[in-house]
Amino acid sequence: MAEEKQIQKKSFAETAFARYFTDFAEAIVRGDWAVRSSLIVMGMGFFKRKQIVKGILVTLAQIAYILCFVLFSIPNLVKFSTLGTVEYQDPKINPLTFEVEQFPYDNSFLILIYGIMSLFLLFVFLLFYVHNVKRVYAVMRDAESGKHVNTFKEDLRQMLGRKFYVTLLSLPTLGVILMNILPLLVLIAIAFTNYDKNHMPPGSLFTWIGFENFTNLFGGKLSLTFGYAFRKVLTWTLTWAVLATFTCFIGGILLALLIESEGVKFPKMWRTLFVIAIAVPQFVTLILVRNFFADQGIFNQICQNLGILDLCKSLGLVSKNAGFIPFLTDKNWTKVMIILINIWVGIPYQMLIATGVLMNAPKDQIESARIDGANKWKIFWKITMPYILVVQGPALITDFVRNINNFNVIYLLTQDVYITQDAGLYKSNAKEVDLLVTWLFRLTQEEQNYKMASVIGIIVFVISVTFTLVAYSRLMKGGREEDYQL
Amino acid sequence: MRKKALALLMTCVLSMTALVGCGGNAGGSNETNASVSSGSGEIQKLDEKAAAGAIDNLVANTKDTVQLTIWASEMDQEFTQTLLDQFKAKYPSVKFDFQLGIQSEAGAKDAVMADPTAAADVYAFADDQLIELINVKGLTEVSTAYTYDVASANSASSIAAATYNGKVYAYPMTGDNGYFMYYNSSIFSAEDMVSLDKMAEVAKQKGVTIGYQKGGWYLHGFFDAEGTGHYAELQSDGSTSCNWNDQVGVDIANAIIQYAKDGVLVMADDSTAAEAFKAGTMGAVVSGTWAAQSYADALGSNYAACIMPKFTAGGKEYQMTAYLGFKLIGVNPNSAYLPWAMLLAEYLTCEESQVARFQARQLGPSNVKAASSSAVLSDVAIAAISAQGAHGTLQRVGGNYWASSESLSDILISGNPDGQDVKKLLDDAVDGITAK
Amino acid sequence: MMKKMGMSKKRKIGGAFKMVLLLLLACLWLVPILWLLVTAFSAYPGMSRTRFFPEHWTLANFSRLFFHPDSILQYGRWFFNTLIIALFTCIISSIFVLMVSYALSCMRFPGRQGIIRFSMILGMFPGALSMIAIYFIMKSIGLTNSHVGMVIVYSAGSGLGYLIVKGFMDTVPTSLREAAKIEGANELMIFIKVMMPLCKPIIVYSVISTFLGPWSDFMFARLMLNSGLSKDWTVAIGLYNMLDKSLIGQNFSAFCAGGLVISIPIAVLFVIMQKYYVEGVTSGSTKG
Repeated sequence: MAEEKQIQKKSFAETAFARYFTDFAEAIVRGDWAVRSSLIVMGMGFFKRKQIVKGILVTLAQIAYILCFVLFSIPNLVKFSTLGTVEYQDPKINPLTFEVEQFPYDNSFLILIYGIMSLFLLFVFLLFYVHNVKRVYAVMRDAESGKHVNTFKEDLRQMLGRKFYVTLLSLPTLGVILMNILPLLVLIAIAFTNYDKNHMPPGSLFTWIGFENFTNLFGGKLSLTFGYAFRKVLTWTLTWAVLATFTCFIGGILLALLIESEGVKFPKMWRTLFVIAIAVPQFVTLILVRNFFADQGIFNQICQNLGILDLCKSLGLVSKNAGFIPFLTDKNWTKVMIILINIWVGIPYQMLIATGVLMNAPKDQIESARIDGANKWKIFWKITMPYILVVQGPALITDFVRNINNFNVIYLLTQDVYITQDAGLYKSNAKEVDLLVTWLFRLTQEEQNYKMASVIGIIVFVISVTFTLVAYSRLMKGGREEDYQL
Repeated sequence: MRKKALALLMTCVLSMTALVGCGGNAGGSNETNASVSSGSGEIQKLDEKAAAGAIDNLVANTKDTVQLTIWASEMDQEFTQTLLDQFKAKYPSVKFDFQLGIQSEAGAKDAVMADPTAAADVYAFADDQLIELINVKGLTEVSTAYTYDVASANSASSIAAATYNGKVYAYPMTGDNGYFMYYNSSIFSAEDMVSLDKMAEVAKQKGVTIGYQKGGWYLHGFFDAEGTGHYAELQSDGSTSCNWNDQVGVDIANAIIQYAKDGVLVMADDSTAAEAFKAGTMGAVVSGTWAAQSYADALGSNYAACIMPKFTAGGKEYQMTAYLGFKLIGVNPNSAYLPWAMLLAEYLTCEESQVARFQARQLGPSNVKAASSSAVLSDVAIAAISAQGAHGTLQRVGGNYWASSESLSDILISGNPDGQDVKKLLDDAVDGITAK
Repeated sequence: MMKKMGMSKKRKIGGAFKMVLLLLLACLWLVPILWLLVTAFSAYPGMSRTRFFPEHWTLANFSRLFFHPDSILQYGRWFFNTLIIALFTCIISSIFVLMVSYALSCMRFPGRQGIIRFSMILGMFPGALSMIAIYFIMKSIGLTNSHVGMVIVYSAGSGLGYLIVKGFMDTVPTSLREAAKIEGANELMIFIKVMMPLCKPIIVYSVISTFLGPWSDFMFARLMLNSGLSKDWTVAIGLYNMLDKSLIGQNFSAFCAGGLVISIPIAVLFVIMQKYYVEGVTSGSTKG
């Protein structure tokens, strides 16, 4: 069933794609002189149909774009293939007059950003251009067949009516383009350049190098260190994401059940107590906790006083002559601690959500099961849990992806504290406890290695997207959603 | 039309380079000769009349408000603000808008490298960042001095620390970055402090420890000790060359591990050491002038400091060394008011300012005259760092030095808890340090 | 009768056991918070290694935060900056989210499915990486080191976070909208007059979450506000810089005081709006 649908969709997409161009051609071939002349002056078609305001607006947009193209796009696009050739030169100061002479130079990064912006603008303009011709043709046909042609006022009214979605979506879309799509394109582009410490604008230029960074990561000359570090970091990232997601998820449900269960008084007060823990912003709690568990910190002092340090020593958890428990400085201890601290941070949220989900649990099913004589555990495992899983499934997937990118917990707990002793890792600026995202962030901040950071970013992106798509399609295949729909 | 003009221009340029090319060779070799002979860089000092003329010209040409951002460390804020106010008063006819930002000298490089065009116009930084800052074009060459003779007023080593490829790129501000030993004079005598072995003996006797800080900066004190033939040096490609993994290195590593296993040498940082001093459980610690006040408070009348001791490894005695560092003031070439930025940098580093800086902040001057004043010489910590100057090296290592050497220091000072093979540890560390 | 008595007794014991367990857990969760609380009132400026509770109590840390700013510590300014940024972000983001949700939930138009799919994929790009590009884009329009720039950074992309709110709107019966339409209301009026009142819990939820984002963000602020001028900072950067290695000895308890102060508004919001929050987030996430 599902596959059939997909095939249908595909062919539909293909025909839609083809129709896009045939419609355009049809408009040009069958259109009158006004339609054709709007290929040059975009408002012409509207002028002919007395849609003067619309015509002026469209023409103004066209003029604005052409100005922008000449003044902004052309100078940047000309240099886009090389990303600039004029090297930076220090300004010269005349010692006797104190006059400064500056020299113009190319900034590869700005050329890259502006070039991508120009291409993007060009793409949007072309869409607008084609759409405009089709619109004009449609208006012509309406006029010929005697249908009513909208006045400007009516057009405006439509923007609050049938086409309200355009009004609603335009500003948010602009924001997403600025903050999400453009940065994404820029970073994908950087993965194909040699932008690093030795090629840092404005001081030096960088340029395109094709797939070199990718081959370096997966088997070229850097592979000894980068490939090694990548494998290790990837493994830990996935381990972490699985553990962090499930511990918090299950912990949240258990805590919610515990608070809601019979015999517990003041459930609201208990919930509030746990919620207080998340009221303190993460950067405060995490920095606090990191000092709490420091090698020379207060918790180590307590452990020493209570003999826990000696206990750990006799269990072989800590080396014999250590003066402290390396909570956040030994690789195994740190990994365990990070997960525990994440449970501490994450469970209150999950508890809140689970509380709400449990409130909506199918009460009649539970009731009838109880009448049938099922005990509490059976009801929980057979009815409540499957219900929670179905309802929370999508959230679980997003949580997993969010944990792959869980920057705060790892960075704030381990930055400046954890030092790796693995030569293969520190050579490529990685640590055992790094996630791919913290690794790439530190690559940019400490090593200015933007090219490799971009490559890693793309890989993280691909992993997240693949996982989500696979997981969603699995979830949908289950098709058990209906059973629990209210 | 345009193309033609371009072609014409090209031929012009080509013929000109050809013309220059004839005499160019001689000039080029002259230049290289000059840079080799000068070595530590030259700054042309204008005579007073020319300098005054240049400054007058600048004042006359400055019509709008001079906007400059200055970065100084957390601790230097108040003091720098007074200097800025004094500078403003010197040029009453010019409008200034100074913004004083907070940026530690140690972190200046990261902040500038993230975006040199957004960095401060005038900023303080530690001299080990010089080369990388030059590489990202974050520093303006100091070719001319106006208000004082930068090159001769400051100590030769401080000018050397600001010099790269024969050109000076910054103005020396302080000359007290580096480390030495603080100790409790009721536990150790000055004679004890000459040798680490003697110190260890006394420490064991009296049940105290000797604190050593972790990190490659301090580890250098052991491994590059005088007579070991070791080095860790920056190469022109940004990597570091290093030869610690020979037999001498293994001996040194074993010596450190032994000190640590004996419970004498322990890992410490400034706050734990100060507390341990107060509690009487620590007898000495390696640190620098920035912590002088807290150690003076902790030790009271027993507060003392001296140079790094000698130690024995593989039956031989070596004098420990120390990295010596200078804090420099740099001028960002991206500044919109470059001449003013340079004049301000000169003012922040002139003799009077350095004397005032010592009085306000107890920071040792790089200025020769300021450093030889009796007040400076009587300061315990600054006297120690001056003496350490005879056994010190400029810190010139690449970025890969730090992580590897820090790991190594971590393992060694904690006494090699997992019992790893020492030779292998060193090979790994050197591998990491020398990685490209 | 007897049996019932036994049951209730058993239940009582079980309840007591559960309460004890909860008490233990709550302690575990509140120990760090308690440490924050008591250290904020400590007279010792640094981090004590030996005492959990301070030796001497004082209010000096708070008065230092608010009444004795120096060139580094300007907590009042930071608090004000953060508040302004968070408020504007909250307003713009909430409006954006509601607009997108309404369009995608209540209207049908060509390309709607495509937008939903595309936005889901777009949302998965790691923010830590795009930050650098965002920085340079903002710089090229001159909005780094500016609070307007911060608001734009936090709110511009917020339209992508529509999932939960859309999920909630999906549960509102279409008949309500149809009825309004028959009475002659256009979509704008339906959006404002019909949907908004029905969406109260989810509006509360999105207001809280969009307010909390910038209120506790650290990474973006550090990247965008790089002039080193203390007066421009937000609380997050200010507090982080207070714990710089050279300053931790004199600032730790002031840091705790600052952390405490910034938590109070969130705690109050959370406690008051817990009900809405639970209602909003669950109905959104369960049906989204």
